[in-house]
Amino acid sequence: MNTWRPTILWMAAALVVIVLVPLSTGEYGIEIGFRLLLYIVLGEAWNLMAGYGGLVSLGTASSVGIGAYVLVGMLNHISPSLPLALTASAVAAAILAAIVSPAVFRLRGLYFTVGTLALGEALRLFMINFNYFGGATGLFLRDDPPSPTGLYIYAAVVFALATIVISIYTRSRLSIALRAVRDDEAAAAQIGVRAFRVKLAAFTVASALMAVAGALQGLHLGTIEPYGTFGLQWSIDAVTIVVVGGMGQRAGAIVGAIVVVALAELLADYPELHVAINGLILIIVIRFAPAGLTGLAKRWWQYRKAAATPFAPAAGNAS
Amino acid sequence: MSGAVLVSNLISGVLLGGDLALTALGLSLVLGVMRVVNLAHGEFLIGGAYLGMFMLQLFGIDPLVGLLLIGLILAVLAYPIQKFLLSPLIEKGVEAPMMTAFGLSVILQNVYTILFSGDTRSIERSYATEPLVIGSVTVAQIYVIGFAISVVIIVLVHLLVSRTGFGRDLRAAATDPTAAGIMGVDVKRVYALTFALGAACAGVGGTLIGLAFSFTPTSGSGYLLTNFAIMVLGGLGNIFGTLIGGMLLGFLQSLGGVTLGDGYRELVGLVIFLGVLAVKPQGLLSRGRI
Repeated sequence: MNTWRPTILWMAAALVVIVLVPLSTGEYGIEIGFRLLLYIVLGEAWNLMAGYGGLVSLGTASSVGIGAYVLVGMLNHISPSLPLALTASAVAAAILAAIVSPAVFRLRGLYFTVGTLALGEALRLFMINFNYFGGATGLFLRDDPPSPTGLYIYAAVVFALATIVISIYTRSRLSIALRAVRDDEAAAAQIGVRAFRVKLAAFTVASALMAVAGALQGLHLGTIEPYGTFGLQWSIDAVTIVVVGGMGQRAGAIVGAIVVVALAELLADYPELHVAINGLILIIVIRFAPAGLTGLAKRWWQYRKAAATPFAPAAGNAS
Repeated sequence: MSGAVLVSNLISGVLLGGDLALTALGLSLVLGVMRVVNLAHGEFLIGGAYLGMFMLQLFGIDPLVGLLLIGLILAVLAYPIQKFLLSPLIEKGVEAPMMTAFGLSVILQNVYTILFSGDTRSIERSYATEPLVIGSVTVAQIYVIGFAISVVIIVLVHLLVSRTGFGRDLRAAATDPTAAGIMGVDVKRVYALTFALGAACAGVGGTLIGLAFSFTPTSGSGYLLTNFAIMVLGGLGNIFGTLIGGMLLGFLQSLGGVTLGDGYRELVGLVIFLGVLAVKPQGLLSRGRI
């Protein structure tokens, strides 16, 4: 139970920040805060797959897009209940993940990245060409979306839920099996870990969380179209958040999301330059700081502790 | 749709598939030998198309005449990417080089947009638009030219891999880099040359594609996925399998385009890719390795 204390403290601190910041900064703060919360949820989900499971996905866009489309469909045609629509988004993305899992889990993960990339592109092309779901023009929310503050509260609730889900997950037996599969799938299978099921669990949970984030984004925009909703940018953002923050580090998504949102605000007037710099940061971090910013901070902390107590053994990164 | 139009469409697809097989071969070589998933391959391909266009616009060199030069330029440009970006990461597993290549892909797409604008481009040549009529079957001349050139280069690559000293080193490094290194193969040199060869295939194939179709800075990602589909159809590291995989995919894409509508061409390729991965991930045509 002791291992829970830092998480609870973290969450309490985060909650205070989440409540205070927008109250003191007004509309702009709420807008940025909303995006930050969405990105943290995306990052947490992506980190579960890649950091803990070695499943490097480039298909964030497919879950985000499914989430947004299902939400709009639910609200427009079935029920005005937002919690119900968000749940439906999550379930739809989880089902999709389960359906494509036989294809993307082949060949020891080599094709997971390419397979998920193909899935996102396939869904985008399908939505553009298939006329039933609005085609290339997309769909509109029939009713007005909630106020920015209302949306922000929803995002905060989703953030809290995602944090709880991932916190429980990363402490469960399932996550030990997941890390075993990541480190050596053959050896894990030898000692009785069902690799396929373990990966499938992470993939479906992560896809569901990403879909909820996508659904909130759809709600925020009020209108969705295939180019943006299924756009590669979602995948680029998710990758950058976690790689910069720190793969497999519990605080990685939060740190990474802050950096990515700040960079986006800074370079808002230069979209191409912004994405190019994103790519450059990705390359530099992978090469020189594979554990991301949190990894760097941890190393620095351990280095200082080791310097202070000369006989203490330097501990490795536990992830 | 009349029978002649249908047949013309399908033949065009097969010919185009041969062209795409050349670019897929580059991707397949790099993955097979270095175990690097080069996610920037599509941008190399589009880089070849831009090079062909600017060569014609600025110097008046016909892209077909400058084809080998384009391949050479791509190979030379790819060399430092492999040496300074990918090579230091190869021992750290599959993910690090793959994500570095992804970062590179993102950078290149946006640098192309900044330098050349997001406009749709094409390489204007008379032979690119003129049709070739044989009986009632009509195909664009450039499809036939591109197919012929691609097949010749694919055969040359096959001879390089199967008949030369470099090819022997390459096959040894692909099978077991450590053992190959102990036996005196300069594995780093093999990797550098393989990556350069892969980029050259992308550049030459990209110019041929640029002659046949219009392209934008972001067209590369679609071709990347098509190349993966071809690679999986033909079997990783199987050179002639890649050619047959390309022709098969081209045929199926055209069939999809004819029956479902032109917008579905690319989607058909992606669905086939995911389908083959689920059913027979070693590739439909896999028997031999490199």
